[in-house]
Amino acid sequence: MLINIKSNHLTNAGQRIGLMYFRVAIILFAAQLLMGLIAATQFVYPSFLYGIFDFSVARMVHINALVVWMLYAMIGSVYYMLTDETGEETAMAGLGKLAFWVLTLAIAVVVLVYIFVQIGPAKESTIWLINEGREYIEAPRWADIGIVVVVLIFYANVFFTYLKGRKTGIMTVMVANLLALAGLYLAGMFFTDNISMDQYWWWWVIHLWVEATWEVFVGTLAAYALVKFIGAKREIVEMWLWIEVLMLFGSGILGLGHHYFWIGTPEYWWEIGALFSALEPVPLVAMFVHVLYDWAKEQGENGEKSVIGNGPGMAWIVTNAFGNFLGAGIWGFFHTLPQVNIYTHGTQFTSAHGHLAFFGAYATILIGMMYMGVQGAYGVKRMKATFNSKMAIVLITFGVLGMTVALTIAGYEQVLVERAELGGGWQAFFTAQNLPWYVQAQLWRLIMGLVTFVGFVYLLLDLLTIGKKAKAAEA
Amino acid sequence: MFFDKFTDVVPSFFGTLNQGPLTLTIFLHTIIVLPMFWIYFSEKKKLGK
Amino acid sequence: MAKENLSVWTSISFWRRSAAWVTGFATILLIWLTFDTMGQISMGTDADLQKGITKRVPAPTVINYHIDYKMSEKRGHEVPVIGKKEPFFGKEWSPKEAAALLHLGKLGSQAKNCMNCHTLLGNGAYYAPDLTKAWLDPMWGATMQGMTGKSTKEEAMAEFLMHPEKYPTHARMMPNLGITAEEAKGLVAFLKHMSSIDTNGFPRGFSKTVDQFKAGGTNAH
Repeated sequence: MLINIKSNHLTNAGQRIGLMYFRVAIILFAAQLLMGLIAATQFVYPSFLYGIFDFSVARMVHINALVVWMLYAMIGSVYYMLTDETGEETAMAGLGKLAFWVLTLAIAVVVLVYIFVQIGPAKESTIWLINEGREYIEAPRWADIGIVVVVLIFYANVFFTYLKGRKTGIMTVMVANLLALAGLYLAGMFFTDNISMDQYWWWWVIHLWVEATWEVFVGTLAAYALVKFIGAKREIVEMWLWIEVLMLFGSGILGLGHHYFWIGTPEYWWEIGALFSALEPVPLVAMFVHVLYDWAKEQGENGEKSVIGNGPGMAWIVTNAFGNFLGAGIWGFFHTLPQVNIYTHGTQFTSAHGHLAFFGAYATILIGMMYMGVQGAYGVKRMKATFNSKMAIVLITFGVLGMTVALTIAGYEQVLVERAELGGGWQAFFTAQNLPWYVQAQLWRLIMGLVTFVGFVYLLLDLLTIGKKAKAAEA
Repeated sequence: MFFDKFTDVVPSFFGTLNQGPLTLTIFLHTIIVLPMFWIYFSEKKKLGK
Repeated sequence: MAKENLSVWTSISFWRRSAAWVTGFATILLIWLTFDTMGQISMGTDADLQKGITKRVPAPTVINYHIDYKMSEKRGHEVPVIGKKEPFFGKEWSPKEAAALLHLGKLGSQAKNCMNCHTLLGNGAYYAPDLTKAWLDPMWGATMQGMTGKSTKEEAMAEFLMHPEKYPTHARMMPNLGITAEEAKGLVAFLKHMSSIDTNGFPRGFSKTVDQFKAGGTNAH
């Protein structure tokens, strides 16, 4: 079905590989949403699929599909922009294609094992073959090693193409940041009996991905997209990019401390985590201002016509500017101080933040990149938003915001009743979970999840048809 | 009292700095930001030429 | 106009150099901090426990001791208190046996995917109670020992873990994960060990009511 997106207008091999990654990414995105709906239903009706497809399984596939579709879309985006930025053909396109098929096959096997085998006995073999049981990086060890090999091939492709070609600021940041992003995965690949040590290194992967290297990646993509979509001036965009790198890494690297408040690590992390992570929203404000400023400027002054070359793509980039600031910045800052976090840690507050941040900071811009891919695939000069594009962006954004608000309310109730009033524990947990306000919030989360899913159906339809329509309109 | 006694389990370099109102984190921020002044003035000199 | 071009604030090279410096130095600081923290969170030894030396993460043989979680005036929050020796599953575990049991338990916690319903040290999913101090939960004594008909807390926990569907407390139930008797013992050891980790007072006021919190008492067993 996704083969419908034709790629015969693409001028180079990198772009064709990019499109291959985008197609799988959108399928995994669908899987993520379906699993989320199952898990959300289980919160409201706990007997739903009990003992057959338990919450732990649905939730594991939900977050793994999320991480993997985003990595796919990220790799796809890099392949897509590679030749355009460097002015060189992809160095080892054949190997890159092979790596794509190996990775996709491996992911398919991992997901099938998650779904049908689910768990194993308490032996090393389970960790090697079934799942590692560590949130977000559950992939079994054999797949870990496979992922490392495939990512090395991808990185070699990017690196050698970069060496041969133009060294733009955007590509320089991209190449350096990707190395850190890929290298960090290694920190999550060992087993230890010491749960504090386990969590310490686990956060190296999770935090230094989503609050440092992924954010810089988004900054880089946004810079490229602004140049492409609205023809923003490269010097200005690249200056902003370096400012963003400075602020994102300056706050994000030591901001890691906000995960080291309560896992057995020393008290000095309170201060380090608190102040560095409190500054994490600052670069997000900067990115927000930057994108909106460029957007407004290119809307067309003095009656000139707007120069936006990709309407839906640009709309998603602007949504990214809002979403990143709101979801990662504001919702993160809500509970980043230890004085607050001692009560909110491990409640639905985190879940609310997670939903809006992953959507706002990452899903949005990656969807924007998919629109860029479709535009290139059909060779359209100007792609305007269709009815489907508008329905998709409105419903998905509204749905995720709705889920976030519902989960925030649930979290607030949980913090006050379970944590502050009753001090955590088994009975405290269920007392809070069963209060009407919490139950209602979970019901609203399910409804808003359905709204998001309907929006996704529009998005899928749009990605499949918009290129053809735009091409027909141009002819 | 403005400066607290050391309260953590094990004293260490960072633990010792962490004994007052945000002393540790302000120290770290300062040593990160200070060299940027040097970078600023060296760039200014370069631009002036 | 010419003067504006002289501004360092719009110079790409200024921002590039600053970005490189800040990123590099923050990374060095993080690595230094990591070495410091590694020293503090590596597991203690059995000798530490015998001499009463406080470690953030005690040796596996901590399962041979009574563990409590009490307000510390000095620290300003609750800390684990390791008390007198008590039998665990009816015996005292040698350092080797205890380490093997903890290894089995930690492995089991991952193999059974605990973290995608529960939180451990507050990290994980939010579908089931936090397990950080689960060993100290008053529910095991009063309710679960009664329901399972076991005479000790650890036996009640192991029985519950093996057949959670037989002992429901709420509509949302833990599923049967095919946990064997050996694995259950390991998991209980893992939970007991985790409750002895110094988490800087998380969770705060564990399983207390407001009145007990004011009185400075504890509900933990």
